[in-house]
Amino acid sequence: MKLSSIAGGLAALVLAVCASGATFAQEKGMDNPRRGPYIDQLKGKRVVFVPLAMGFDLTEAWAAVLKKQAAKLGYTFDIRDPNWNADAGARAIQDVITEGADVLVTHNPDIQSYGRLLQQAEAAGIKVIQLNMETTTQTDAYIGADWVEIGEAGGRALVDRCSPGKGISNKIAIIQGIPTGAADVYQMRGLWNVLDAHPEIEVVSQQAGSYDPSKARSIMATIIQQHPDLCGSFGIWDSQEAGAGSALQEAGKADQVFSVTSGGGNETACENLKKGLFDMLISYNAPLQGEVAAAKVAELLESKDAAGTRKTTFFTPLTTITADNANGFNCWSLDDLK
Amino acid sequence: MRTMRLTQEGVVFLIALVLFVGFAITLTDFVSPGNLMTLLRSVAILGILGLGMGLVVVGRGIDLSMVAVMVVAVSWAIVIGQTEIGFATGILAGLIFCILTGLVVGVLVAYAEVPAIFTTLAMGSIVYGIGRSLFFTLDVQNVPPGNEWFAFLGRGTILGIPMAIIAFGIVAAVLHLVLRKTRFGRFIYASGDNPQAARIAGLPYRPLLVTQYVVSSCIAYVAGLVMAASVSGMNTRIFNSTMIYDVLLVVVLGGIGLAGGRGGVRNVIVGTLLVGVLLNGMTIMNISLTYQNLIKSVILLMAILIDTLLNPRDEQTSQQGDI
Amino acid sequence: MNSHTLTRLRYTYLPDHLIGEILSKRWIDNAIPVLTLALIIAVFGSVIGNFFTLGSIGNISQQVAELGLLTLALTIVMLSGGIDLSIGSIFGLAVLATLICMNALGLSVGVALLAALATGMLCGLINGLLIGYLRLRAFLTTLVMLIILRSVYEIVFLNFATRIVSGMPQSKLWDYLAFGKIYGIPAALFITLAIALVLHVILSRARHGWHITAVGGARRSAYNAGINVRRTICAAYVWSGGLAALAGFIYAARLGSAGADTGAGLEITALTAAVLGGISLGGGRGSVAKALIGTISVAALSSGLVRLGVPGPMNSLILGTVLILAVFVDVRWMKNKQKILNTVYMSPAYVVMPKAAETAVGSGSPYAVNDKLREVDAIGLGILEGPEDCVLDRDDNLYCGTRHGDVMKFHGPDHKTWELFAHVGGHPLGIQMDRDNNIVTCVGGMGLYMITPQREVVKLTDETNRSAFSIIDDSQLKIADDLDITDDGRVYFSEATIRYNIANWPMDALESRGNGRIVCYDMNTKKTHTELKNLVFPNGVCIAQDQQSFYFAESWGCRLSRYWFDGPKKGTLQVVIDNLPGYPDNINRSSDGHYWFTLMGMRTPSLDLALRMPGFRRRMARQIAVDEWLFPNINNGCVLKFNEKGEILDALWDLGGQNHPMITSIREHKGNLYLGGISNNRIGRYKIPGADPNWCALDARWGKS
Repeated sequence: MKLSSIAGGLAALVLAVCASGATFAQEKGMDNPRRGPYIDQLKGKRVVFVPLAMGFDLTEAWAAVLKKQAAKLGYTFDIRDPNWNADAGARAIQDVITEGADVLVTHNPDIQSYGRLLQQAEAAGIKVIQLNMETTTQTDAYIGADWVEIGEAGGRALVDRCSPGKGISNKIAIIQGIPTGAADVYQMRGLWNVLDAHPEIEVVSQQAGSYDPSKARSIMATIIQQHPDLCGSFGIWDSQEAGAGSALQEAGKADQVFSVTSGGGNETACENLKKGLFDMLISYNAPLQGEVAAAKVAELLESKDAAGTRKTTFFTPLTTITADNANGFNCWSLDDLK
Repeated sequence: MRTMRLTQEGVVFLIALVLFVGFAITLTDFVSPGNLMTLLRSVAILGILGLGMGLVVVGRGIDLSMVAVMVVAVSWAIVIGQTEIGFATGILAGLIFCILTGLVVGVLVAYAEVPAIFTTLAMGSIVYGIGRSLFFTLDVQNVPPGNEWFAFLGRGTILGIPMAIIAFGIVAAVLHLVLRKTRFGRFIYASGDNPQAARIAGLPYRPLLVTQYVVSSCIAYVAGLVMAASVSGMNTRIFNSTMIYDVLLVVVLGGIGLAGGRGGVRNVIVGTLLVGVLLNGMTIMNISLTYQNLIKSVILLMAILIDTLLNPRDEQTSQQGDI
Repeated sequence: MNSHTLTRLRYTYLPDHLIGEILSKRWIDNAIPVLTLALIIAVFGSVIGNFFTLGSIGNISQQVAELGLLTLALTIVMLSGGIDLSIGSIFGLAVLATLICMNALGLSVGVALLAALATGMLCGLINGLLIGYLRLRAFLTTLVMLIILRSVYEIVFLNFATRIVSGMPQSKLWDYLAFGKIYGIPAALFITLAIALVLHVILSRARHGWHITAVGGARRSAYNAGINVRRTICAAYVWSGGLAALAGFIYAARLGSAGADTGAGLEITALTAAVLGGISLGGGRGSVAKALIGTISVAALSSGLVRLGVPGPMNSLILGTVLILAVFVDVRWMKNKQKILNTVYMSPAYVVMPKAAETAVGSGSPYAVNDKLREVDAIGLGILEGPEDCVLDRDDNLYCGTRHGDVMKFHGPDHKTWELFAHVGGHPLGIQMDRDNNIVTCVGGMGLYMITPQREVVKLTDETNRSAFSIIDDSQLKIADDLDITDDGRVYFSEATIRYNIANWPMDALESRGNGRIVCYDMNTKKTHTELKNLVFPNGVCIAQDQQSFYFAESWGCRLSRYWFDGPKKGTLQVVIDNLPGYPDNINRSSDGHYWFTLMGMRTPSLDLALRMPGFRRRMARQIAVDEWLFPNINNGCVLKFNEKGEILDALWDLGGQNHPMITSIREHKGNLYLGGISNNRIGRYKIPGADPNWCALDARWGKS
């Protein structure tokens, strides 16, 4: 609200100045000497994106942003969709190494599978950006959420709600995604950092939902029957947690159980917040991550350094969204990105 | 029943009964009406799918494409519903898609003579591929708001009985009547029992097969609608789960032999009940979902084992190529 | 150049009989899988620029290495008549076992391999015990095992996940397994190929493999043949579990990690590969080569689709379509192959027969019909079936073969009583007695056999040297027909045709191509070789009085020829009589120094005409049922006597065909002529007027004993 009004004011000012200037002289500006070479050197380069799968908010958002930049700057942007299959993804990366590319953007299914392949890719001269889900191998860049921080923030919120005397009980349930993924491994560390300090919180269940809402739904349906006095729920990812949330709603426990999850902040997640499928979303804003990744892609394409020369990490900003601020910039829609 | 020969259906029913009594004695709250409703509701969709599969299996076929058809048709209906065309038209489109898929499967099985197991296995992938590439891009489709009548299908109750259970009951009753009272039903038994004899006797064997697959597709669609209504959306990734195997196991567990020509709606209900009692009991016993899957499948294996021990096959009577 | 010349050239030089022969080969089953593979490679090769680069092939090979082992696992089970849907889950568990050993526990590669194999084989053993010994249905059982093992996987995986991803094994061997390359080809592929080779030897050469195929091909027969069906089936599943585990081990080495869905759905990919390779569901048909072809097809297809950037779901659409198409083609092929083969295998040649000699009564022809055989006695009437030939020993006992695979002995001199002399197993045709009173006989479908006086049956030979360019395997003896033995122990025997087996021998008449040959077996060196080739249904063989040549009859050629195998004229082939009015069969010596031979059937003008019209015969073979075909008449014939100049000296007919309708052989012994007939139920005995009543063929041939 504030930001937009300032921007609006600025725009009006600039417009006024320009308009007044135009009446005096036909000023047509000058060529930017860096623009031509910059665009030329990016032409014909190749960037390949290997996501976990296409077809969900995060990867669609990243791909949309990167695709837009590729069209603008004239490099080719290919997507290799392994459709949730780590083996197919590994083969896709192997093919990229064979075919050659300038930058490889990966979204890793777990913190190890692609690790050695990414080293090989760098050895073959392909610069590698790991997006949001990292491996233990550090490459040219990691751009994505700080999972430990998310885990800690979620843990603190749960402790806050379910400490003795505050909630209906001290019981919380954890539904992981794929336990070997970066999101799981590091979020769990963060969560347990907090929970270890608060032994009064009882974890009644810790199971894996494989990022699948229907599986999360069956898990939560079981848990809520076993523990009708559940106080909190921690879900690894909003899309999966929506399933758990619907199980809670069916059991009529949505108000009683405080669910925390994290995600890319898609409008669907905001709607789910409003519907009460979960109560708190720690958003890592996927379009923003896409923009940062796009900037990094452009930088790496421009750079003359060999692959793997400089290894950088950038944790994208996090926003805590609840039903109250589930609007505007916090809730993006895929159609707007395209 | 006059002879005291124990069929698989009987064995399964006994197991279900023993479990039920066991749970009722040991677990508090197990026999409360609320819990029994939950029990039935949790397996209603599985049961509806089981009815469709049961029909095909009686006719000596198998339909492994049911889950894919269900997911894609319902998702398409929802996607159309999200546009200005309207949800009702969408549902009709989904139905037409199901019928077409059933026809394709049926023609491939009946006329091209591709074994049903391969046809439907591959058709599952094909249907899912078509859906994901042509009809929708996202994994999860949400039912457009403002269709209260649809939500009632999933979450409403009549006389305190959830709609999902009622839907299961209706499909079961209709299918039972069709199988027992109509010519079509009797023909399916005949052709499932002995296809060659059925053909020689002049039954329209191939059209029968095609009809079977069309019907099972449509029943899958009904199950999908109930499912979509109860969670106001359809998650297409169910296609990747082992759900279709659960459906098959409900059918086989109830005693419909894969060799065809045997069993009926009652068997599906018995199989569904066992799975329901089992899952519910284990949930109350605080067993986690993964262990539940393990225990469930081990019990299924036991049921098949007991059936084989009671009705043994030997080298002289088993059919070649009968797997 | 008239139309007859054209027809002659076309049917003489266009080798269309090869089409049927190619279709009849077992390896033709590989044709469709190979064509599919070629098509896939051609399409992707032209669409994707660098599809054929070494790196690209390396990537495909990596997939072939793992998928290949899984497909082999499925192949063995499918060969045994079952199916194993649990291989994907076993694969996953093996990955987990390996990673727990390597990453979590820090054990050596060898221990990890053992752990993986033990896991897989244990799972396979459970499958095997349930399906093999308890005889559960394979499809359902392995389906349930798929779910059980997947649940076990999820439970174990959740407990070890963090330890698996936090460990980093330091092992050169481990890294080599993952990324080692030999000439750009992944080392893992060589492991798979080595295993494939071993399996190929086991499945095609070893008893165990034959048992598996036999059980899959015909379970009941295998059981009745004494194969331990249960153990064999159980073993197939243990194999399958072990191979799937090995694939998991290689996968674990390559990726060093596991996910929630590791191995899920691989059973479908492997099944697609197996079916695409032409391994049929239902058992008994398949090979290692087929499994590999199918694997390469699937690997090339999926790799090509990924390279083209086809989105994941579209991928599954294409693979699904390919699976349906593959099964469709396989089903159609199996159903129609025999039909096609039946219509194209028969390949008539262009033959112009010389004008047949006159046989009319009163024509003055030496062949003229008479009624001399009317008073023939019958021996063994109602006991014998199909005595093609007979032989008498010095004590007047008569030996002959029967359709049931026996050699019967009728006691001399009246031949009223009889006994079963020996059981050979196949239909004995031509029969002779050698110097030491051994019976040497050509057994149809089996080869050349000897029966000693002690009734011991000895196989002399059942194969000859294979010709260099023949498509069908002509080394095997299909219809050994008649024989004679030289003084120094060489057996010359005829093989009527190499293109038809014993049940279909009359079909060779419609080809009249010259598919037969004369083969020589040397009793001293025990070696066999082909002496003469391309004869038109060679039949009777008889060593001439000069001991340097033999006479032989070519039935469909209606001629008698003489061939010198020794002496100054060695290698000479001479036609003795070429215008016989019927189809000559066996030849034997007579007491007056000449030779007896028989006509098993008479030529007809219609068939003679048809022989000049190969197109007509081809249409007949394709368009009408076999029992409507125009066949040579083999219902009546006669006995003839000829001399070395090729003159007919005597003719014996049974005019009404009432007493001895069909004659295929003659044997003179002590003034009587004994007559055999392949479709007769008796041996005939004809008193030869004026013949030497003490002449014994054996004494005359080998000297008095």
